[in-house]
Amino acid sequence: MNSRLWEIFLNSFSRILLPGLLVTIPLTLLAFFLAMVIAVIVAIIRFANIKILKDICRFYVWIIRGTPLLVQLFFAYYGLPILGITWKSPFICAVIVFALNEGAYASETIRGSLNSVPEGQIEAGYCVGMSYLQIMWRIVLPQALRAAFPSLMNGLIGMVKDTSLASNITVTEMFFNTRTIVTTTYEPLLLYTEVALIYLLFSTVLSKVQSIVEKKLNAQVGK
Amino acid sequence: MIELKNLKKKFNSNYVLNDISFKVEKGDIISIIGPSGCGKTTLLRCMNFLNTSDEGYLTFDDETYDMANINKKEINNIRKKTAFVFQNYNLFLNKTALENVIEGLIIARKIAKNEAIKIGEEMLEKVGMLERKDHYPSQLSGGQQQRVAIARALALNPEIIYFDEPTSALDPELIGEVLEVIKQLALEKRTMIIVSHEMRFVRSISTKVIFMEGGHIVEEGTPKDIFENPKEERTKEFLDSYRREL
Repeated sequence: MNSRLWEIFLNSFSRILLPGLLVTIPLTLLAFFLAMVIAVIVAIIRFANIKILKDICRFYVWIIRGTPLLVQLFFAYYGLPILGITWKSPFICAVIVFALNEGAYASETIRGSLNSVPEGQIEAGYCVGMSYLQIMWRIVLPQALRAAFPSLMNGLIGMVKDTSLASNITVTEMFFNTRTIVTTTYEPLLLYTEVALIYLLFSTVLSKVQSIVEKKLNAQVGK
Repeated sequence: MIELKNLKKKFNSNYVLNDISFKVEKGDIISIIGPSGCGKTTLLRCMNFLNTSDEGYLTFDDETYDMANINKKEINNIRKKTAFVFQNYNLFLNKTALENVIEGLIIARKIAKNEAIKIGEEMLEKVGMLERKDHYPSQLSGGQQQRVAIARALALNPEIIYFDEPTSALDPELIGEVLEVIKQLALEKRTMIIVSHEMRFVRSISTKVIFMEGGHIVEEGTPKDIFENPKEERTKEFLDSYRREL
C-alpha cells in the first residue's frame, strides 16, 4: 500500500468508525427495541384473534412487507412533510421507519413461535386460576421469544447493515460519511472495503452476543 | 357437592355427550371408564369449562350454573374450587418444578411468595419430588412430570381434582409411581373424578364407577357392581377385553 492510500485510510478511519458508534449503533438499537415492542403487541393481537385490532395489524404487516424499505424511508422523510407530518431530524425519521419495518417482520416470527408453544400450558394456566394475559406474559411469551431468538437476532444483524440506507435521507451515519470521503479522495475501492469491514466487525460482535445469550436462555429451560 | 344435569355437547352435528347426569358427594372417588372416543375426556373438560357445552346445568356447592351460558367470572369461581391433571401433564416448560407448583398460588391467588414456597415444597414432598424442585420439566421423566402436575393441583387446595387419563401418556414402568400418588390421595379421602384405562387401579380405588359409551352413561355403580355383576351387556363386553388385566 503506498503512502497516499495509507494516509487516506488513517484519516478516514475515525471519520467512518465514529458515526458508526454514534449513529449507526444507536439507530440500530433504538429502532430494534421499538421494533420488538411493536412485534410483540402485533403478534399477541393476531395470536389472540382480537377483533378489528387483528385486521389493523394484518393491514400493517401487509403494507410494510409489500413495499421496499428504501421507498418507505423516502416516503416518510420526503413525502409525509407534504401532508404536514414533519420530522425533528432525519435520525428520528429513520428510527421510526426501521422500527415499523422490522416490527412487521419480527411480528410474524413471534406469531409463529407463539403457535409453537404447546397449547396445553394455556389450559393448565386457566386451571390454576390465571387470566389469559397472565398466561401469555408469564408462560407463553417467554417460551415463544426463546424459540424466536435466533430469527430475531437475524433481523437485528440485518438491520445494522440496512441502516446504511438511511444515508439516502441525510442521516450522517457511517455510509453517508464514507460516500462523502469518496467524493473528495476518489478512492472507492479502499473506502468501501473499509466501511464494509467495519459493518462486518459490528455484525460479528452481535453474532457473538447472540451465541452467549442463546446459551443463557437454554440454561433457563434446563437444556 | 356437585350435581351435573343433562349435559349435552356436540361437535358439528354429532353428539359426543348426550344427556349426562350424575352426582358427586364429598369424598367420592368416581372413575369414568369406557372405550376410546366415548366422550369421557370431553365430559371432564366440560365440567371444568375447558370445552364449551351446548346444554346442561352444573350445581357446585348449592350454586347452579347454566353450562351453555356461563360467564368468565362464574367459570373462575368454579375453577377456584377445582384442579385438573392432564394426560400430557402440561407443566409450564419455562418454570422449574417448584415454580410450576407455586405459579398459580402467587399469580392467581395472590399468596405471598414465601408462604407459597412453603406450600409448594410441602406438596412436592408429598409426591416425592422435593429433591427435584429446581429441575425443569425437560429434565424430568414423564412420571416425574405427572407427579409435579399432581403437586400443582394439590397446592390449590381444591374441593375436587379431575384426572384426565393421568397415566395414558406414560411408559409402562412409570405408571406405578403416579398411581401410587393418586392412591395416597384416596386414603386422604380427597374428592376426585378419574378418567382411566387402568382397570385394576379403578377397581381398587373408586367409590363409584361410571361406564360410558357413545356419549351416554351406560351403567354406574360400585366397583363391585360394575366389575363383578355388570347389568348391561355392553359393560360386560367392554370389561371382557380387560379380563387378563383384572
